[in-house]
Amino acid sequence: MAVSTVCTTQSLNSTCSISTPEKTHLGFHQNQVVFYRRTSKRGGGSCVITCSVGDSQTVVIGLAADSGCGKSTFMRRLTSVFGGAAEPPKGGNPDSNTLISDMTTVICLDDYHSLDRTGRKEKGVTALDPRANDFDLMYEQVKALKSGIAVDKPIYNHVTGLLDPPELIKPPKILVIEGLHPMFDERVRDLLDFSIYLDISNEVKFAWKIQRDMAERGHSLESIKASIESRKPDFDAYIDPQKQYADAVIEVLPTELIPDDNEGKVLRVRLIMKEGVRHFSPVYLFDEGSTISWIPCGRKLTCSYPGIKFHYGPDTYFGKEVSILEMDGQFDRLDELIYVESHLSKLSTKFYGEVTQQMLKHADFPGSNNGTGLFQTIVGLKIRDLYEQITSSKTAAPLEATKA
Amino acid sequence: MTMATLSSLNLATPRMTANLPDSNKVNTVKAPYLNQNRPWKMVTHLGSRRMRAMVPVKAAPDSLSEKVEQSIKEAQEACSNDPASGECVAAWDEVEELSAAASHARDRMKDNDPLENYCKDNPETDECKTYDN
Repeated sequence: MAVSTVCTTQSLNSTCSISTPEKTHLGFHQNQVVFYRRTSKRGGGSCVITCSVGDSQTVVIGLAADSGCGKSTFMRRLTSVFGGAAEPPKGGNPDSNTLISDMTTVICLDDYHSLDRTGRKEKGVTALDPRANDFDLMYEQVKALKSGIAVDKPIYNHVTGLLDPPELIKPPKILVIEGLHPMFDERVRDLLDFSIYLDISNEVKFAWKIQRDMAERGHSLESIKASIESRKPDFDAYIDPQKQYADAVIEVLPTELIPDDNEGKVLRVRLIMKEGVRHFSPVYLFDEGSTISWIPCGRKLTCSYPGIKFHYGPDTYFGKEVSILEMDGQFDRLDELIYVESHLSKLSTKFYGEVTQQMLKHADFPGSNNGTGLFQTIVGLKIRDLYEQITSSKTAAPLEATKA
Repeated sequence: MTMATLSSLNLATPRMTANLPDSNKVNTVKAPYLNQNRPWKMVTHLGSRRMRAMVPVKAAPDSLSEKVEQSIKEAQEACSNDPASGECVAAWDEVEELSAAASHARDRMKDNDPLENYCKDNPETDECKTYDN
């Protein structure tokens, strides 16, 4: 959405008027300001009308992960980096999946299910199957929001399993689409400015789901296992392939520090960052592009069992150049966290200790003492950096146009 | 809990309204014949003058837990015939979806302590100071 300058030849009788139309249903962009300037010359004075479309171009982030894999935790960390807490829209459907804060709006892609729960049962398809999702509608609405047009988005009610009446979504500064298929459809993929995939290994997924579901009546180890196993074919066929398109992949694996560990408390987390992505500079340890193995515990820092181990290096991932930063172990104390942060580079923090501060702010979130929380926070800061770069490059362009 | 009769008496003295219990957090008039399956469909008494804002009620977590239990049973039945069939897979997917919804509901319930919410933002106030020896 570029700046347009229009010159008219007729002078206007009226004095200057500034109008800010917000008639989104007509397709006008929000924050559109039209200036009318009256010239003092008589007869045939030219009047310049400039339409500057402020921040109507929304930055779109895609986040993909299987159900129960930490998307909500990631969302909360991300919105906290921008400031403010994201909440469901006030006064609307209480079972809405949307979260809104000052800067961000998070849309759950389950809202684009074309089949509700009974429909899927009849056809014998899972929610993972692309046949259960309306990708055309998803593409149209994300495209509209990206260009600054509000949309009526359907609501998928997870409690009843039905499709509820739509809710109005106004274009935010940052739009996050999270769900099972943000990168599945090629058109939607092209709209994303940045995409993240949470890749949880089977053992860890099993451990997390046990933690989540054992409190529920009716669930047992067998039922949880059966649920994961039976969804696996669809997951491998439709969801897993999306990781090759992601700009950043957070891979969660069982730890290598404790032999035969099956509790899943200590985790090995790898942040796989694609090289050459616009506005995104990967984090590195000590020396960019080299391979480093680092154990911070020693004379300056004492850690408790099992300690912390870092690894950084370049690699290839599905044929693309990537940099991988890996952390195995957990943080027990604040000074371990700040020590690690002070040795990482290109974190996109605004001040020293910002990562630590963000982690402490949400110390009750799952993963706050290991690599999942750390890397989610870092990715959040990277997204903030990306947003600022995109918006500053956009404001630079209109200035040049008006000079001409 | 049922203050339905109140609506027909709302032309009565204001003293009646003062007795409204605080437990009536939801500002709607509930009829005794409320449809238990669709708690958001509030039925107001005809002629009720007290038009408060209708706030739809969130689904109660108990019904969610029951749904989870029910869906697990159904999935086990569906899979006893043919573990690879579409019905079996779809049934377990439903179990997964309901378990996720139940877990989110549980998290939301946890966040509803007013003191905790206040102290999160104001830890230095007298009510919220903690002393660790």
